[in-house]
Amino acid sequence: MAESLEKLHNRILSDARLKAAGIVEQGEEKSKQILEESRAQAQREANDILSRASLEAESIRRSILSSRIRANRLRILEEKNKIVQSVLKSVEQRLSDIARTDQFESTLKRLALEAVEAVGTDNAVVKVGFRNTEKKSLQSLGQVLPKGTKFLAVEIAIDELGGVIASDPEGKMSFNNSFKARIERLDNQLLTTISSNIFGE
Amino acid sequence: MSGIEAVRKIVETEGQAKRIVEEAQLRAEEILARASEEAQKVRQTSTSEAEQRKVQMLRITREKAEADARSSDVETDSLLENYKKLFEDRKDVAAKKAVELVLGG
Repeated sequence: MAESLEKLHNRILSDARLKAAGIVEQGEEKSKQILEESRAQAQREANDILSRASLEAESIRRSILSSRIRANRLRILEEKNKIVQSVLKSVEQRLSDIARTDQFESTLKRLALEAVEAVGTDNAVVKVGFRNTEKKSLQSLGQVLPKGTKFLAVEIAIDELGGVIASDPEGKMSFNNSFKARIERLDNQLLTTISSNIFGE
Repeated sequence: MSGIEAVRKIVETEGQAKRIVEEAQLRAEEILARASEEAQKVRQTSTSEAEQRKVQMLRITREKAEADARSSDVETDSLLENYKKLFEDRKDVAAKKAVELVLGG
């Protein structure tokens, strides 16, 4: 009986040790799993932080660069515009002084004939006005104008820079061939010409 | 050995076995507690490192963007200087061509 009791004693303890070992082993397994999951989760969180940081960095970069680049583009456009306007001023000055040049007579004739032709009447009224004009330099115009055309020289420069305005006798239809009007009509071409000559564009 | 003594011995053994299992449970709980603590540290360390890298990334990006912006300013200044030279060199030709266009156009 003592022998079988000893066996039972050993058996009970052996079972308990086995169970204890199982419990500890399970704990260790679970611990390993917790750490692995934690590492994976930490990696995901870190990746998420860095991914959002990349987007934020790009946004900061764009915000700094785009505002500065926009400001610089504006400076370039302003400078170009200033230069073109300066050349246009010079063009206006040259045109208003044309009466002093040897181009005047031929220019006057061309402007007048164009205006008369545009009005398209046999008895057009041609008004001419330039700065610093002597009457004799205008007289030759009368010879080239079609018969029936009335020629009128004014003492002030038409539209500030000078030029020619032709109209029908009733004044219902007119064609403004002043330098100012021609500049307005040629606006885009003038800007292109000036730009291409200055900037090579 | 009497029957009573045998029963007492078995009860003692059962108690010993119970203690062995309880100790194992306590140990397992300690292991899990340590694991949780370590897991928390791992996450904190990882997040902290990522935040540091983020701060560094944003600082470098900002510095580089500022440098690029300054470079754009310098480039623009140079371009504007060049325009001024071009204007001085070519303004007469440009005005002459424009006058020709107005007169002949």
